[in-house]
Amino acid sequence: MKRRDFIKFGTAGLTSAAAGSAGLLSWIPRAHAATISKTYYITDGYTAMPDGANVYFKGFSNSSSTLNVPAASVVVQEGDTVQITIVNTLNSSHSFVIDGLVDSGTIAAGQTKTVTFTAGNPGTHMFYDKLNAPYNRLVGLHGGFAVMPAGSSNELYTGSATFVQQYVWVTNDIDPVWHDNVRRGRTPSSTFNPYYFTINGRTMRVPGHPEYGDPNIDSGYNPETRLEGSIGDRALVRILNAGMCMHSVHFHANHVEWLAENGQPRPQVWKKDTILLPNNMGGLDVIYPYEIPPDSWPQVTTGSFPMHFHDEMTQTAGGGLYQFGLATTIKFK
Amino acid sequence: MFDILKPTLMMHNNGNGGGGGTCYIYPDAPATPGRVTPDVTFNRTAHMNGSMTMDDGASITMWGFNDGGGGGMGGGAFPSPAIRVTEGQVVHTVLTAGSMMQGTHTIHHHGIEPSTENDGVGHYSFDVNGTYTYQWKASHAGTYFYHCHTNTVLHAEMGMYGGLIIDPPEGPGTLFSGGPTYDQEVIWACDEIDSSWHNKSWTAGTCGGNEGFNSLNPDYFIITGVDGAQSALTAPGIAPTVNVGDSLLIRYICAGYLPQRINFGGLNANIHMSDGRALPEPVQVTTIKASSAERYDCIIVPEQSGVYEVSVEFLDWVSGAVVGTARTRITVV
Repeated sequence: MKRRDFIKFGTAGLTSAAAGSAGLLSWIPRAHAATISKTYYITDGYTAMPDGANVYFKGFSNSSSTLNVPAASVVVQEGDTVQITIVNTLNSSHSFVIDGLVDSGTIAAGQTKTVTFTAGNPGTHMFYDKLNAPYNRLVGLHGGFAVMPAGSSNELYTGSATFVQQYVWVTNDIDPVWHDNVRRGRTPSSTFNPYYFTINGRTMRVPGHPEYGDPNIDSGYNPETRLEGSIGDRALVRILNAGMCMHSVHFHANHVEWLAENGQPRPQVWKKDTILLPNNMGGLDVIYPYEIPPDSWPQVTTGSFPMHFHDEMTQTAGGGLYQFGLATTIKFK
Repeated sequence: MFDILKPTLMMHNNGNGGGGGTCYIYPDAPATPGRVTPDVTFNRTAHMNGSMTMDDGASITMWGFNDGGGGGMGGGAFPSPAIRVTEGQVVHTVLTAGSMMQGTHTIHHHGIEPSTENDGVGHYSFDVNGTYTYQWKASHAGTYFYHCHTNTVLHAEMGMYGGLIIDPPEGPGTLFSGGPTYDQEVIWACDEIDSSWHNKSWTAGTCGGNEGFNSLNPDYFIITGVDGAQSALTAPGIAPTVNVGDSLLIRYICAGYLPQRINFGGLNANIHMSDGRALPEPVQVTTIKASSAERYDCIIVPEQSGVYEVSVEFLDWVSGAVVGTARTRITVV
């Protein structure tokens, strides 16, 4: 039996990085650089989409018996020595790359490789498989890698606006035909036709649906994805687009402070309710300020609001199922 | 445990068998929490019987909101009549909607940030079945728009949107307190239309089944309800005539789903605001790339007479290729 036939997961198999990291990434600055070690297992399997279809994925997973898409994100401090061990359990070659920081080169089928590098470039990066581009990345071999400025617990880069909590959102556009081609070891020949849209590997559910509120399935309740805070709980959101489509990120209830685009600090910080998210590993770093919703009357300090993409095709699944797409909840506690 | 205030699902037989009779719609019309006497009131009645005649002679079905009680079988406004208020005012937007014929709808004032009940997102509050009064306070001058947030992927595409402008206390002629003044203004709500989506039921995509909503393939490109193939080049209110040295404010609303690139025909434009917030410093541009639902407030002070053709290019969300163009012009005398 091939591995992909027995690592078959329902959506519950996507428990993902919930093991080992809390919902929001906590961070305590250190006075000295440290050595950070992490092992990823390249695995594959199937994930159920909202319309019931099972789609093939590969992931940088937490163990040889799970499938984690996206990979558990990593937060390190500038100057840290980072050791990443990749165990390739599959019958195909893969790699581990962070542009500007590390490139493992080819990791052959069944091979294990450790890469060591010094964390530079404070900010938000994507790690991904650069081989068979862009297909290996698109089918799930990607994750978020955050470098905190040395000695700082609350900045994106030295001197940036500050935050008190942080999240990583990795988004993706899924064409199941392309995924199936990758499963068969073929190069997709059809025009890319995204059919599902995910945030941290999940999609929304709505009240009345049996999976509503399940943190393993419902992106509106997944603790790594859902923003939660009270007034003043400023949240850094590191948004990385693993997919092929440009998107439009829309926040309700507060404008965000737009700090960086594609990893580069912006010359001015604009306050925006909607921002273009570049495709093919583009990124945005924003702070959701958790201020009193400014237009509420009488003023409110609690409530539930969406963050959703405004190119509304992304709010669907399988060509229909509006509200089962790429969105999450912003909770004012 | 529910994020939604009152998760009451609409059950109905949609006649095409998908979804087992459950449509993810949340009809209700509660009292407005904390209701006060407003400074200004706008009445809007949802309609689904408008149309737009294109330059090639085609008539496309459009939906929207009529002013006052002109809905039902009459009216048919597209785009919906603008809402214009003054900073500091408490506003009531009274929406009347709801029947199996006319559908439930909401009004989300995009960029306005009120309480959950008044945010108009169906699946976080309710889809209006009857009459609901949205209460909000206009806290920041700028350019916004309002749109239906019930089955948004379809209802916004069908044209259920209108402009929303908040003037500073100084009134029209000043963009924001302490900001620039202007002699003339235009509102360019740039949108693309996929006519194959325009003959569907108002619940299409909420009851299961594949409606093709993952893929928008537009065949018309419009500016504020006027075909950008030819008509917008000369349409009153869209194609302005300005004097050399006068200041023209362009309130640019990216009202479609695809990314856009607006080119001001060789004129220099200063962006002073985006999404209802002043930029720290104005930014001079000749083009802007924007994504769905962004707004940019740009002032042009032409220095030489002439006819300047403005193009709005609509971009494929994967390749960035131009899939269509809407045009208007600025005549400087």
